[in-house]
Amino acid sequence: MAMKGQLDDHALATLMRAAQGGNTQAYVLLLKEITPRLRQIVRAQRRFLKIADIEDLVQDVLLSVHAVRATYDPRRPFMPWLMAITRHRLADAARRHTRRAAHEVQVGNVPVTFSDEGTNIDGDQYRDPEALRQAIMALSPGQRDAIEMLKLREMSLKEAAAASGTSIGALKVSVHRAMTALGRALRKKS
Amino acid sequence: MTMDTEKLIERLAEVVEPIRPLARPWIRMAAWFLVAIPYVALVVFVVSPRADLISKASEWRYVIEQLAALATGITAATAAFATVIPGYGRKFLFLPALPLAIWLGSLGDGCVEDWIHFGPDGLSLQPDWFCFPAIVLVGAVPAIAMAVMLRRGAPLTPHITAALGGLAAAGLGNFGLRLFHSQDASVMVLVWQVGTVFILAAMAAWAGQYLLNWRSIVGTARSRVLIR
Repeated sequence: MAMKGQLDDHALATLMRAAQGGNTQAYVLLLKEITPRLRQIVRAQRRFLKIADIEDLVQDVLLSVHAVRATYDPRRPFMPWLMAITRHRLADAARRHTRRAAHEVQVGNVPVTFSDEGTNIDGDQYRDPEALRQAIMALSPGQRDAIEMLKLREMSLKEAAAASGTSIGALKVSVHRAMTALGRALRKKS
Repeated sequence: MTMDTEKLIERLAEVVEPIRPLARPWIRMAAWFLVAIPYVALVVFVVSPRADLISKASEWRYVIEQLAALATGITAATAAFATVIPGYGRKFLFLPALPLAIWLGSLGDGCVEDWIHFGPDGLSLQPDWFCFPAIVLVGAVPAIAMAVMLRRGAPLTPHITAALGGLAAAGLGNFGLRLFHSQDASVMVLVWQVGTVFILAAMAAWAGQYLLNWRSIVGTARSRVLIR
């Protein structure tokens, strides 16, 4: 049952059908309508997370919805479809977190890293995807490919090397230079 | 990485394109079957069908086992396609259970009969290494078509989905194999042929994590949002 002011399942299904047809406005409306619901679900199930982490999960679900929107059957209700994706993505994130935690070594606070500015970029924060997009587009093709494969698609160095036909060493250099250039470009913008 | 969710929504809307919804699982299964079965027929024709095929068609045990293998492939394919649709009920997972039980039951019954008629000799095993590569050969195109079609869905249960896909392709492979390979001793079929089918399904289940994962499809969506 929809809460007061929220669209019901039928309306969401209608928006999704329109979005599958390429209707941009319907898609924006749909995503804006489901975002607070997703936020609420994530917050309820992951009470220990910080706001930024909750937002990351919400965005992950939105990207997943976008990636698999062809799997929505217009004759079926919308919310069970959305909830199944949300459930799986949350479980996936929990597994990822557990895996990462198992490989992490707890160390004390290290006040400084290195003097090289490339190692001190505040890389976890970018509020403006458009600025980031422009910064990525300004990279050389090799650096852009390295960023796309290693950072956006989260491929391993081995996978990226096989896909691009370049060596792992060359990829490491490209992604390091690209990250330095992105950090510089984003700092200039802000 | 944290970005403004509102801006992400705007970017997603900018890159959204018309997309055709996936057909229902049984329709996708029919499409897969239409691609797979001519290839199976071609392999059987090229290798040349077994000489006693016409007489075998009147043997009820052979017919039941072949129909059960085919039905296992068909139902496993339907179940695999259902598992990549978010919101589909888990009851679909059990679709292949009945034909698989009939298949195994018929072979088990054949083993018992052979044992009654021939004693321990009726259950003797000889090496039949031909089965594995033959089932791989017959199931290759069905497996590739299955993988391509499954990747269009959501990777909700990669291992289960891939296992069902592997079972579908290998089941069809075994159906094709028995049209040109004259090996009908139940215990031999059970161990070498059904064994191969299960091994291939297990291998597919293992490969599922690489074939079907959110990381690659969400990564592709993310790079489209940020790069294109």
